[in-house]
Amino acid sequence: MTPTAAEDLAFSSVVELAGLVRARKMSPVELVRAYLARIERLDARLRAYITVLPEAALEAGRRAEAAVMRGGPLGPPLGPLHGVPYAVKDQFDTAGVATTAGSRILEHNIPIEDATVVARIGAAGGILLGKLNLTEFALGGTRRFPFGQPRNPWNTDHDPGGSSSGSGIAVAAALCAASLGEDTGGSVRSPASWCGVVGLRPTWGRVSRYGSFPLSWSMDTAGPLTRTVEDAAFMLGVIAGSDPRDPLTSRRPVPDYSAALHDGVRGLRIGIIRELTFGAETDVEVREAVTAAARRLEGLGAAVEETSLPLVLLAGAIFMALADADGAGVHQHWLRTRPMDYDEGTRKRLLTASLIPSAAGQQAARARALLRAQLHAALAQYDLLLCPTAHQAAPPIAAGQAPITSRAEVADRFFTRRSYVTPAALAGTPAIALPCGFTSAGLPISLQLIGRPFDEPTVLRAARAYEQATDWARRRPPLG
Amino acid sequence: MAELTPEQVGAMAAAVGLPVTPDDVAEVAHRLNALLEALGPLAELALATVEPVPALPDEPPLP
Repeated sequence: MTPTAAEDLAFSSVVELAGLVRARKMSPVELVRAYLARIERLDARLRAYITVLPEAALEAGRRAEAAVMRGGPLGPPLGPLHGVPYAVKDQFDTAGVATTAGSRILEHNIPIEDATVVARIGAAGGILLGKLNLTEFALGGTRRFPFGQPRNPWNTDHDPGGSSSGSGIAVAAALCAASLGEDTGGSVRSPASWCGVVGLRPTWGRVSRYGSFPLSWSMDTAGPLTRTVEDAAFMLGVIAGSDPRDPLTSRRPVPDYSAALHDGVRGLRIGIIRELTFGAETDVEVREAVTAAARRLEGLGAAVEETSLPLVLLAGAIFMALADADGAGVHQHWLRTRPMDYDEGTRKRLLTASLIPSAAGQQAARARALLRAQLHAALAQYDLLLCPTAHQAAPPIAAGQAPITSRAEVADRFFTRRSYVTPAALAGTPAIALPCGFTSAGLPISLQLIGRPFDEPTVLRAARAYEQATDWARRRPPLG
Repeated sequence: MAELTPEQVGAMAAAVGLPVTPDDVAEVAHRLNALLEALGPLAELALATVEPVPALPDEPPLP
């Protein structure tokens, strides 16, 4: 295979790869080898992976190939992801494989069973290539990554986003066909945004949290990162659904997320969130790209208009008062017994959260309910809400590594950018991030579409219509 | 709310048994003061009658 053909294969979509395997046009073993070769060539620089599983993946590839060859009407049924190599954030348990949550504290943690989402992808035929890097304990703000500094494929001096950093990098650089991340307050959508890929946060309760290292019980949500919207729909169909081991999963039936993908946006009502799109914090190039995307959706037949949601500007702070306090509860034992085993940024964030006055937490919880009501009221008027996924493109890595020396810096580094992704998290609604342009410096810009609870089909349908009308998803990072 | 000093933050941490270094205390004070300041506008909202209920998985769908 020529280098160009190998690269084209690696950048193929999940749906395409699954079709090639099923049609016996591509061996799962060759697919695994193709991704392992790219990991070998690129990952020392990008640090998407914490653990790579070459032997296990090749063995799974051989089994998948044998199953295909025995296939046909009389052969064993093949799962929808049969023979497709994927990777998961190292926050999800994997039986017999280290699950570190990005921390030295769990360096030697070997789970005895898979997280539900990992088990479901395995049952669908996916081949696990390895475990992906993340900000420590999925918190964000890590200064020195214990397992290597993850880097943005579009410019390796820049931040790939987090907390599912490796999940964004691995998909953008084609180091796997698709990945799984976890989104408490933007941790799927932020790396998707800065790495130029698709990231879907499903409705809270749509996907099991069992076997995922927790941060905030009422917001933690697993979600796929993919190169196409169709793949996001495909992956969601595999992982979604009730789980007796997570009592807070919904018992609603899982629809066929691919069924309405091609229905377009004609007749949909879309509200542009004024505060997040036209506010002073939003970078000019981001605003221009997102408003151009809104115009494109209008051109495709959607009714688009501005709407105001004043409380979203407080969402970042409300989120940190609630989710960080939940996290402090999770970490209280290690904070007292192993404080210096945390990264400095993680430790200081958890210490801060441990000292939030309970009255402030109560006010934040009430404000969350009010924000949720405001978002739901808007979603009663509009089918979708639209805004940037992030207020700026990926900043330099060095910007997030410096110690914090003033109150104003905290607001800049933590609250502002979280106000773009946390409204959907606080409200429990689905949201998708997808590429909508590039800055003059060549960094990806991302559009966010937020939908009604359990209405992923409309979110995916609109995202797919936009994706098909543009060529952003077809661009590849300059990795050499 | 008056700004918390590093000394006050250190005392709060000690009171709940959290081991903190002098370097930790200085930055945690900035972070905590920033968060409390950012939450300040919540005092202007009519929150007294709002029930602090997070999302539930099987609530009725929106119209």
